[in-house]
Amino acid sequence: MDMIAPLAKTGAISAATNLWVAIPIGFVFGFALFHAGFTDSRRIAWAFYFKDVGVPVVMFSAIVTGMLGLWGLSLAGFLDISQVYLLPTFLLPMAIGGILFGLGMVIGGYCPGTAVASVATGKIDALVFIVGFLLGSLLFGDMFPVWGDFYNSDYMGVVRLDQVLGIELGEAVLAVIIIAIAGSLAMRWVQQRFWPTTEDDPQRGAKRKLQGGLIVAALAIGFVLAYFPTEAFIEDNPEPPYYIVPKTASVQ
Amino acid sequence: MKFGTRWPPVPAGILIGISMLLAFIVAGRGIGASGAMTRFVAWIQHGLFPAVTEQSAYFGAYFADGAHPLYDYVVFLVVGLIIGSFVAAWLSGELRVEVLRGPRSSIVYRLALGLTGGVLAGFAARLARGCTSGQALVGGAELSLGAWVFMMCIFAGGWMAAWFVRKQWI
Repeated sequence: MDMIAPLAKTGAISAATNLWVAIPIGFVFGFALFHAGFTDSRRIAWAFYFKDVGVPVVMFSAIVTGMLGLWGLSLAGFLDISQVYLLPTFLLPMAIGGILFGLGMVIGGYCPGTAVASVATGKIDALVFIVGFLLGSLLFGDMFPVWGDFYNSDYMGVVRLDQVLGIELGEAVLAVIIIAIAGSLAMRWVQQRFWPTTEDDPQRGAKRKLQGGLIVAALAIGFVLAYFPTEAFIEDNPEPPYYIVPKTASVQ
Repeated sequence: MKFGTRWPPVPAGILIGISMLLAFIVAGRGIGASGAMTRFVAWIQHGLFPAVTEQSAYFGAYFADGAHPLYDYVVFLVVGLIIGSFVAAWLSGELRVEVLRGPRSSIVYRLALGLTGGVLAGFAARLARGCTSGQALVGGAELSLGAWVFMMCIFAGGWMAAWFVRKQWI
């Protein structure tokens, strides 16, 4: 069975169509950012005071969804993972960049995606953040020779957590799900302790049921990926494509 | 069940994850926002100083072989993002021109810090080759080591500075 996705890479759709389809995909992204409450800088910044831990919980949920889809669909023979652009690791530049980015987020109240989404809802502080963001990007690009060597240092290639830890990919997927759930519950607990809610939410029970069900579903898929011989179910794929980089492969 | 304007975090995150997954399936790459910003600023600078920008060690690649920096996947994605957020806010009756800030913060203080934080985040996103969406979320789903380190460092940096700017937010 030939894998049909990624559509733009297998020739199922043209490069121009791919560009236009990016608009509805971005629409879903922006629509979700608004309903996550991420067009409000206070809500983003409050994560760093544990006043509203929605930001890390939303991020964990998005990562788990994308992760289960990406690796699950490649295992099922639908998505050719070797045709997906996987992000390479430049360890130290990414660590330093992360710290600076975190400073920028709590000082500025946004990250680029949320700032753009927020400007679309009329927020002036988001517009000012974007002006700063453009200036920061310009500074980096125009003075690139100053930090170019550092930017390209500590290159490790495309390296995954399961390779670093010496475990199977499915086990790493399950570990991420468990960390996401435990981390979300722990942060929620800290929030309740320091910023107890006073208002009563009549939908609390329904929300809890829905989110609990989604979490159990994610765990179930994670366990299947980690511990069941899923490749046995796929006749045409004796070698599941998700093992394109065996866990024993050396880090380039 | 009706969620209203503010959805619970898990379904909201899942919809963001679905948009990422759609990009994987259709384009074979993730979503992101900072790349479009870089291309936008490169395009503006090119309008003012074309020669300098085309010879730039960093921005030059956007103009290679007569390419237009805005004719790129990430830019189309951000156009959709703007429309999506606008429509969601409009349907919720939340389109309002305002400066969001904590109860103790003045407008000037908020905007000054907004600009400062923007410069820092803009520089940092280039250094880390992506932002919260393009690096942390997409790389997180790909189980990329660098993305997970980036994400943990975002929270470390944020918590380090939180005390100093608390008057802006709480």
